[in-house]
Amino acid sequence: MKPVLALLVAVVALAPFASSSQYLVNIAMLTAFSAFIGQGWNISGGFGGLTSFGHAVFFGVGAYTVAILQTRWGINPWLGLPAAFVLGGLVGAGIGFLSFRAGLRGSYFALVTLAFAEVFRVLSNSSDLTHGGLGINVKLQLGAANFQFADRRASYAVVLVLLAGATAIAAWLKRSRFGARLVAVRENEDAAQALGVGLVRTKTAALALSGALTALGGVVYTQTYLYIDPSIAFGVERSVEMLLVVMIGGAGTVWGPILGAIALHLIADVSRTWIDTPGFAPMLYGVVLLAIIAALPGGIAGLKGRLGRA
Amino acid sequence: MTDKTRPDAARLSRRAALATGAATLALPLVARAQAPVVKVGLIHPVTGALAGAGQRCRMGGQMAITDINAAGGIKAMGGAKLEALLGDAQGRPEIAASLVDQMAEAGASGFTGCFASALGLAATQAAAKYNIPFSIDSGIADALTTRGLKNVFRFFPNNTTATTDAMAALDQINRKAGSPAKTAVIVHEDSEFGTNSAKLQAAALPKIGIEVKALIPHATPTRDFTNIVLRIKSEKPDLVVITNYENEYVLLARTLVQQRVDLVSTFSISGGGFSLKFAKEAPAVAENMIDFNHWYNPKDPRALAFRKRIEDSGQIFSWEYPFGYFAVRLLADAWERAGSADKDKTIAALAASTFSDHFMPYGPTKFTDGQNAGSHPVALQIQKGDIKVIWPEAFADAPAVFPRPKA
Repeated sequence: MKPVLALLVAVVALAPFASSSQYLVNIAMLTAFSAFIGQGWNISGGFGGLTSFGHAVFFGVGAYTVAILQTRWGINPWLGLPAAFVLGGLVGAGIGFLSFRAGLRGSYFALVTLAFAEVFRVLSNSSDLTHGGLGINVKLQLGAANFQFADRRASYAVVLVLLAGATAIAAWLKRSRFGARLVAVRENEDAAQALGVGLVRTKTAALALSGALTALGGVVYTQTYLYIDPSIAFGVERSVEMLLVVMIGGAGTVWGPILGAIALHLIADVSRTWIDTPGFAPMLYGVVLLAIIAALPGGIAGLKGRLGRA
Repeated sequence: MTDKTRPDAARLSRRAALATGAATLALPLVARAQAPVVKVGLIHPVTGALAGAGQRCRMGGQMAITDINAAGGIKAMGGAKLEALLGDAQGRPEIAASLVDQMAEAGASGFTGCFASALGLAATQAAAKYNIPFSIDSGIADALTTRGLKNVFRFFPNNTTATTDAMAALDQINRKAGSPAKTAVIVHEDSEFGTNSAKLQAAALPKIGIEVKALIPHATPTRDFTNIVLRIKSEKPDLVVITNYENEYVLLARTLVQQRVDLVSTFSISGGGFSLKFAKEAPAVAENMIDFNHWYNPKDPRALAFRKRIEDSGQIFSWEYPFGYFAVRLLADAWERAGSADKDKTIAALAASTFSDHFMPYGPTKFTDGQNAGSHPVALQIQKGDIKVIWPEAFADAPAVFPRPKA
């Protein structure tokens, strides 16, 4: 069964390379991109149960890191990837340490992350380093050396590699000691603590890892669209996108974010392409979303278990 | 053997005959299908927070396409008809860029859009990869045409022009009245559009003898301006300078009246809510508000006819209609002069454009790095439920009411 599944995944993931339509490749790229940042969220939010409403903070840190490095200091954007990874991790560790040491969890933690994202938005809106509300324009200089691709297939390949890496990390979490500790914390903090799991350390590490990965998403966004401003980088829409993808696909599962991203983009893009009535596409999107949430509390990945029981 | 091959040969020839027949029959169809069509991608936010303005830009663009086709299409291209490709950017830059990909593959020869600068930045960049000409309708950010993209053209004013002209206008209006305005507070929304404008205004106002007492940013959306207005009141400025979008503009104006803030005038540059709709819906609040914005030349009868056409269709006129309209006409003019929809030829024709068949107060078109150097906004004032041009005098259809009469 497993090799068949692996083959299927490979075929679906690689099919867009055979397409000459930049538009279709772009949809595949956006889908893989959502899946990637969703996977970033999933690592802390899904496996660790650290529901965050403000993951855009990491996305934005990554986006601004690469933008500032190259526009201010002429540093090659490829180096933005490791820089964003480290900074995203540090911001995750910082937010995690502050919140978890204060004992925040559940909805309190969710609200604090929302607040952090908002603080970063306001800061980037008023700081000279980020050009304030003007945002940062990255100069169009097509070329692989500049991390700018004329062919969307190349962008897709980069996102796919990142997604594969993040998914491998999620799979590793499933079977590693760290992952087990994280799940234990999610299921019952007191019990986990009684077993000797360091709550603050485990949760902080999860948020740092999640933040580092999500920041890479910001780098890819900046290099693809070449313009960011505070609301694109730290806006609540991005946080919601990550959270939705995981909730729809199945939180705390390896494949959840990918399934969720495919479902959401399929609905959004199909409805946008085929329905001309303004406003109808987002409405349909909302209705399908509600239906999935109502019918599948465990997300699409939970469907297998439900069917198995039936 | 021979018997066997004969039917084969016969079948083949029958097939060939059929194919030839079909081809002959299809010929006129093919010829008819090849009656040239030039596709124009119209990318606007028609859902979401910017939907209203986006829809108006789109409608303007569609009107231009209807007019051009009714007048015989692009004559230099054998009467080629224009065909609109419509896209909803939903206010998200990545969707705007994705629409460019989609439309480029559908054969778009040109684009117009995107109402908001952030959408335009992403879409023009994406179009640059295909070298497809992009005629910006609305989107005032300087950066749209200063990034060295050869395919991007803006017939309409940019932020720097708007601010420079606005300050000249304010200075002249103020001085003519004996300089009653000496201090100002700037209220602006906090994204690119508002921040950029406020920064330019704060630098320019002191040069015309108006001291800036405070810069007050606010988010979009903001639904309660009481605190902001109380802060304005405590600063006791002569002028309140406003830069924001529609709802916030109207709410701020209303709160200023409700809180009885005593002012010489309000002044906005591209005030999002300064519109005929506002003038008609809240005449007491709107009366005598001044805005420096896009408008038509009221002395040109074609402009009045255009406005009437919009009003006859049951809409309230606003500047987005002519913007959407002339963004398309500018492209069509380039195709007409290039005699082709070839990308390089069109871009060359746009760069050399002297488009003059319009009723905007701009004078002849001259592009410098994609920006029309001849384009200028005008000073407008709401007077008795209508919008009047009060500056420059060459286009004015009413004198300024400044300072405004005490309530």
